[in-house]
Amino acid sequence: MKKFLSIVFVLILGGLIINHLASNNLIPRFGDVVLTDRVSDAYIDRDVNGGDEDVAFGESEDLESGAANTVTAIVADYRSFDTLGEVTVLFVSSLGVALLLGQSKRRIGLEFKPNFMLKIGSRALFAIILMTGVYVILHGHLTPGGGFPGGVMIASSMLLLYLADDEFRAKMRGFKVLESMMGLLYIALGLIALFISGVFLENFMDNGTLGTLFSAGMIPLVYSIIGLKVGSEISSVIDHFLSEEGAS
Amino acid sequence: MIQIAGILLMMLGLYGILTNRNIIKIIVSLNILEIGLNIFIISIGFVRAGEAPLFSSEAKSNALVFVDPLPQALVLTAIVIGVGTTALGLAFAKQIYAKYQTFELDEMGEE
Amino acid sequence: MNIALLVAVPLGLAFASILHKKLAPVLLLIGSLFVLVGLSFTEYGETVIGGFDAPYGIHLLLDHYRLIGLYIVNILFFVVIIMNIKTYQKMATVLLVSLAGLNGLMMTGDLFNLFVFLEITGISAYIITSTNKHPLASFQYLVAGTLGSSLYLFGLILLYAMFGSLNLADLASQITLLEDKTLVLLPFLLMFLGFGVEVKLLPLNSWVKGILSSANTLSGPMIASVYAAAMSLVFGRILHDLFIFEGRFQILVSVILLVSILAGEAMAYQTRKVKEILLYSSIAQAGLVVLLFVSGLATWALFLVMANAISKMILFMVIAEATKNQDDELDSLRGLFAKNKVIGLGFTIASLSVIGLPAFMGFVVKMHALEFLFAEQLYLSILAILLASVVEGIYFVRMLLELWAPSEYRFTFPVKMQYILLVLALILVFFGLTIEPLQALIEGIESTLQGGILWQV
Repeated sequence: MKKFLSIVFVLILGGLIINHLASNNLIPRFGDVVLTDRVSDAYIDRDVNGGDEDVAFGESEDLESGAANTVTAIVADYRSFDTLGEVTVLFVSSLGVALLLGQSKRRIGLEFKPNFMLKIGSRALFAIILMTGVYVILHGHLTPGGGFPGGVMIASSMLLLYLADDEFRAKMRGFKVLESMMGLLYIALGLIALFISGVFLENFMDNGTLGTLFSAGMIPLVYSIIGLKVGSEISSVIDHFLSEEGAS
Repeated sequence: MIQIAGILLMMLGLYGILTNRNIIKIIVSLNILEIGLNIFIISIGFVRAGEAPLFSSEAKSNALVFVDPLPQALVLTAIVIGVGTTALGLAFAKQIYAKYQTFELDEMGEE
Repeated sequence: MNIALLVAVPLGLAFASILHKKLAPVLLLIGSLFVLVGLSFTEYGETVIGGFDAPYGIHLLLDHYRLIGLYIVNILFFVVIIMNIKTYQKMATVLLVSLAGLNGLMMTGDLFNLFVFLEITGISAYIITSTNKHPLASFQYLVAGTLGSSLYLFGLILLYAMFGSLNLADLASQITLLEDKTLVLLPFLLMFLGFGVEVKLLPLNSWVKGILSSANTLSGPMIASVYAAAMSLVFGRILHDLFIFEGRFQILVSVILLVSILAGEAMAYQTRKVKEILLYSSIAQAGLVVLLFVSGLATWALFLVMANAISKMILFMVIAEATKNQDDELDSLRGLFAKNKVIGLGFTIASLSVIGLPAFMGFVVKMHALEFLFAEQLYLSILAILLASVVEGIYFVRMLLELWAPSEYRFTFPVKMQYILLVLALILVFFGLTIEPLQALIEGIESTLQGGILWQV
């Protein structure tokens, strides 16, 4: 009975939505979006606060937001308050996992015992994955990616070490300190901006030339902070899930 | 099209949440719901024959047609939030298993 | 003082507090006090974040409605903390994040930012309820809450697809200009369902029973009072700014809400467990609050939220403390107040205010609400509210009679709890007797809310 009602409800809701999408003439058809109707046009043109210069790769200097990657400019510059919130969500989730799963003294035993080749070979791979993660973080303002995917890559390199060696445990204390410091640094950047220009979280550093590595002001810094924070948080979550109470 | 696929995934996830009796399956359904939602959000921003919203040596100036970058930024946030809730949900699942020795709602007897 | 600090400082303290576990409760107190003191130095207006004006950037708003909401939420949050700081020290960091999230939720003027803060407060709530030691209930709360947020996000994206902006004020002005208001029906429905999960509306409130029936002194007041107030106020603001209704549509939504109110009261009537009585009463009151918002009485809905938040804080705190080591069947609590007169007095005042007896705030709010509903000729709502009040009266009085029965029941409440709760109860009496402070606030709020839109279906 419950399944039948659920199917009916879900079908009706899905039908309502599809019908609405087809009949609502304010929603543009798929692919026919006109960007000038939306706020995104100003983000692409980098002229949210007025001004009307052309944006050219490799040439424009000190734009309103110097990141070549428009999505990064939105996430870390125009709407950086949302990013602060997102970082907080991960922070509190990892905190919750730590609180719920308690003090963990030893690793959960794996059924399949990894052998010697796996343990050594995974260390080499660990370095490569770590480097990839760092690359993605540092180039977040030029290529797709940024702090979040990069941080998760760093965490996945830790996961590799955890899976390849069932005695391995990273130093949780170090991760905690790193996470806390990075969080405080992010808030401190916002407060410094508040002192300098009276606006919380404003990008107060020089924006450089569009497309070079050292451009976009505060954004590479913010992304590095986020990357390290995300990496340490997810590594801590992995550690908690792969451990249990008991004598060490 | 993509939008119908997104909505289909969302409805599948919703159905899963409403009817599943296994904790892990409920978490998986929640994830399917979120994936469908994210696909739908990205599809809102598509512009036919538009470039990726990235200035590079192939896309030099802002006179080109780009796809809408704002839904992509929103999805970035939504995915991370989904990861956070899934991690917490799995931690709860581990506690539930420690208390009841099962993941099946029917065997737990309380709800 | 820049209102961004109301969010940034608790957040910064939360990041710092994980370094030193012993220091965390101290930082929590500092954060809560900072926000309370800081609120008196704020000014009305917009605060831009990030240096980009709305609708491109995010801005935080402060006006009469939001300021009152912030005061209610932060004062009650502070009360919950000082009662619980010794026993739940491990929760200090989560509570700091929750404080930042609640403040941000009430102040933001951007819909996606609201989604992010909704998730922040939601996740903190799931962790706070884990102190109940009932992981299945917390898990179901998590699933329901995430489902609700996803539906809200879906509605929000549809609004973006239609109007191209995420800013609350911008969308409100564009919706006013719409000719065919039925176009926003689906986004409204989705946002209503989404927020309805958190605000405890039927049929999305199955999580409430699990969480509040095993509540303790931290999670009970926090979820039933602080969170309920914040969520209802934000929900009401969105409903008021983006969608107001008249005609057939209002009747339809009102009927659904009335069913929810009456069902809540009926469930409260037929149970003998005190926590269940209180939680079903909360569900019914939540329905009443949303009904008032939907009928256009945003100011009185705000006051009802305030009265309910104070009352439920007292009620839940007392019962949670009393049932710390025993079950909450009404019979086993018989005579609780015979030797605890001060607590009993506070509890009784709170109950009578919820019912709506004269001389208490609940009465004043209900009277004015019924007056306005009468003027709008919404007789069905009036009838249902009166019926609900009668049922409320019956079960609350029944409960009070049991609890005041003379007996040798021995239980000592902590002294600070006795007096703090009494002060809160006296606030209810104060606002019940003198209407002038409320009158002065009303003009301020109404002028803020003038920008609301009325439309017909």
